[in-house]
Amino acid sequence: MHIRPFHGENIHEVLIMGVFQNLRKFFFTQGKSSDQVTAKPEKNEKPALNHILDQFKDCIDFQQRTYPNCSVHIVYLPFLVGPEPLKRDIVDPLSEATEEEAEQIFKRSQYKLTGDAKECVKGILDGQAAIFFRDLTYLVDISEPVGRSISQSETETVISGPHDGFVENLSQNLGVLRKKIKSTHLKTVKFEVGEIAKTDVVLAYIDRIADQDMVEDLKKRIRSIEFDAVMDSNMLIQLIDENPNSVFPQFMTTERPDAIASKLIGGRIVGFVDGSPSAFVCPTNFFDFFSSPDDYYQRWLLGSALRILRFIGFLITISFTAFYVSVTTYHYEMIPHTMLLNLTESRAKVPFPPLIEALLMETTIELLREAGARLPTKVGQTIGIVGGIVIGQAAVQAGFTSNILIISVATSAIASFTIPSYIMSASIRLIRFGLIIMAGVLGNLGLMMCIGLVVIHLSGVTNMGTSYLTPLSPMNFSALLDTFVRGPFWGLRKRPSISDSQNKSTNKMRK
Amino acid sequence: MNKVKEKLNVFHITLLIFMTEMNITMFSLPRLIVENIGTNGWIGYLALSVLATFNIFLYWLVYRMGRGASVFQIMECALPKAVMYPVYWALAVFWIFTASFTGKNFFLIFQMLSFQTTNPMFIFLLFCLMVFALLIKNIYNISKTATVFFFMTIWTVGLTVYQFQDWEIVRFSPHLFQLASQGHSFRNWMEVYTTFMGYELCMFLFPHVTKKSKLFQGVFIGHWVITIAQLIVILTAFGYFSFHQIESLLYPIIDLLDFIEMPFINRIENLVFSMFVFANLIVTVMYCFAALTAIKQTCPKVKPNRLEFVIVTMVFFTGYIPKYLGQSEQLLRKVLYTETYIAFIVPVVLICVLLYLKLKGKVPNNES
Repeated sequence: MHIRPFHGENIHEVLIMGVFQNLRKFFFTQGKSSDQVTAKPEKNEKPALNHILDQFKDCIDFQQRTYPNCSVHIVYLPFLVGPEPLKRDIVDPLSEATEEEAEQIFKRSQYKLTGDAKECVKGILDGQAAIFFRDLTYLVDISEPVGRSISQSETETVISGPHDGFVENLSQNLGVLRKKIKSTHLKTVKFEVGEIAKTDVVLAYIDRIADQDMVEDLKKRIRSIEFDAVMDSNMLIQLIDENPNSVFPQFMTTERPDAIASKLIGGRIVGFVDGSPSAFVCPTNFFDFFSSPDDYYQRWLLGSALRILRFIGFLITISFTAFYVSVTTYHYEMIPHTMLLNLTESRAKVPFPPLIEALLMETTIELLREAGARLPTKVGQTIGIVGGIVIGQAAVQAGFTSNILIISVATSAIASFTIPSYIMSASIRLIRFGLIIMAGVLGNLGLMMCIGLVVIHLSGVTNMGTSYLTPLSPMNFSALLDTFVRGPFWGLRKRPSISDSQNKSTNKMRK
Repeated sequence: MNKVKEKLNVFHITLLIFMTEMNITMFSLPRLIVENIGTNGWIGYLALSVLATFNIFLYWLVYRMGRGASVFQIMECALPKAVMYPVYWALAVFWIFTASFTGKNFFLIFQMLSFQTTNPMFIFLLFCLMVFALLIKNIYNISKTATVFFFMTIWTVGLTVYQFQDWEIVRFSPHLFQLASQGHSFRNWMEVYTTFMGYELCMFLFPHVTKKSKLFQGVFIGHWVITIAQLIVILTAFGYFSFHQIESLLYPIIDLLDFIEMPFINRIENLVFSMFVFANLIVTVMYCFAALTAIKQTCPKVKPNRLEFVIVTMVFFTGYIPKYLGQSEQLLRKVLYTETYIAFIVPVVLICVLLYLKLKGKVPNNES
């Protein structure tokens, strides 16, 4: 019996129509849906003591004080406030004041009147005291910074140049920056990031040098962050970058105030996150990660040689082991006969193909590096020595690996540490594995294809709307003088092209 | 989020044209010159480069007369879309074939050097993934990639210094255009001319440039930089090998590299030829880009990356047609011959159309 499953339609027709519609959806753009809901702004409530007490219910670090002599209620978080400001602004003036006297006291500028409950709660969380007097609420800043004092950065050490590094406290960091750049053109903008943690983020830029469009764009991006808590600037930059899936870091981060100051003067925008010792810089290009503040404190020829050395280090890191795998797997003819005997002798005892051998050794080196980073310094050193002996000698003697591969892996690892940015160095070490695998599959061709893919990827990466490969592509000849080399100061007359500054020439400030 | 601010400029156009013209025929170029032009064929090569410059001049005329309008805009001003769409499709399919044959030919040559037992289609599949990765990016990113690839490959021209020791001027004959084994004919000279193919794709850059971009300055310089680079290699081969040696070598440039011995590396052709995958990628991508632009003209509402996927899939499956090197060479020659005709016919037709539109007072204006 012939069954017609749909009213008057053949099942094949329905199927074909379905497939056709899906194909159409796959290939062609559809109209935009209009069901986007816009959030309504909440109405601000007037701050009331009961409301604040309710908000801080079950918080043992919350304190309420009452002064019946002047009918004043004070609430604050004692662990955030300093005893000295508390005594100066609260205890001393209010303990024996009458109501009329209190009214006069609150006219002083440090007592700020607030009519917003949210602002009041935020102020308390920031270390301010909320004062409830009659039906008015005042906020007074009695906070004291908590954290370590300015000290040397442990991750970014320099031989010459200033040794101070940023710390976790935002106000201290801004103070350090203000000391470096004594200019009213240095502007700072504050934001709150994180739905729950409400971390302070400050953007700093030099007015008329930094590109204002870029500043506005960055502000917009920071305001649009929707995340519970941002703990570090390295976390924040991942929330605002354009290519979140890229392996490469797109914003440079540094703990060095001198580096930040020079970037600001170059027209970049920098950002600080409260609780993070690293500040981020944007716009950044790929080559920025290879320059160190040291380069500018040395003679330009020496600085240039060091920078070139780092780029050679980059090439060695990315390709040396992969090239070893490629040559020993497929292209023995490329090895000069003087080296060939040593190589074959060294490889004769090894039971694994070069790809497996290289991957094993590279993984071991990475394990050593990771273990060294996680352990206390003294134990870390021991691990390094023990690991070095095991890898260096025992593995070769046991016929586990060849001498030449040890040289190759060790050189690659050392070369990777010449890159000043730890995050960039780690990214490069990661993509090196891809290159090794491709070299093991398709020899030199695989190596080149993988490098090609990396270049294609890098060409598409942008940072604040600028190309990641600036100044190589798009080409800017004058900027090249401070990219692959560190040109002499008399040659560095222009601000970096990536900054897109309206004041292109250095040492000048056009109004 | 802000869009990337940079536009194509003269420097990037120069390098893009350089890389697009650097097609696979370069490796056999000295032999093609010897077979088709004969002794001192490099002079003929230069003459052909001048002819290519004239062809570029025709495109410049189109650009000037059309006041920056795209070739599609010009054609659609004169002829109905129903007439033009099949032409676009035909051209797109042809460019897909060109892209595929050029790309595949490289890997078949590569198999002569290594990976004789590997299925070339496996390598070609990986290559197609690279093509897709680049094609889904816009022309600015393609030009940025071409710029980096240029710097990664241009140093190989410097390897010719290694041949200076054995280079003899006496190997250059005093005779001009003699002993051409294929004989002199229009078709044979055109075979050498095919090496310049790639500049004609500048017609697809019209919508992506402004007056500041100095498009044609870039195209002219790019064409002459590749001419000079290839001339250096040709002259090196002519002074290094004898006339008859070149004639008997299938890919003289690979053999030229073969003789280079450094203290730490030998047989450098393995590395340099692998590096040519970058140039091959740009050539393939640019032909795919031409096909993409033509098809997009007929269906502008397609979602991003869909057409690119279809084109690269077609490139991959077309790659099954050439099975061995001889067949691939023949097919490549055929498509490049056709491309040469197209390169000349298109600007001539466009100029005629523009003259007609000028008479009617309907010349499109896209100047900015």
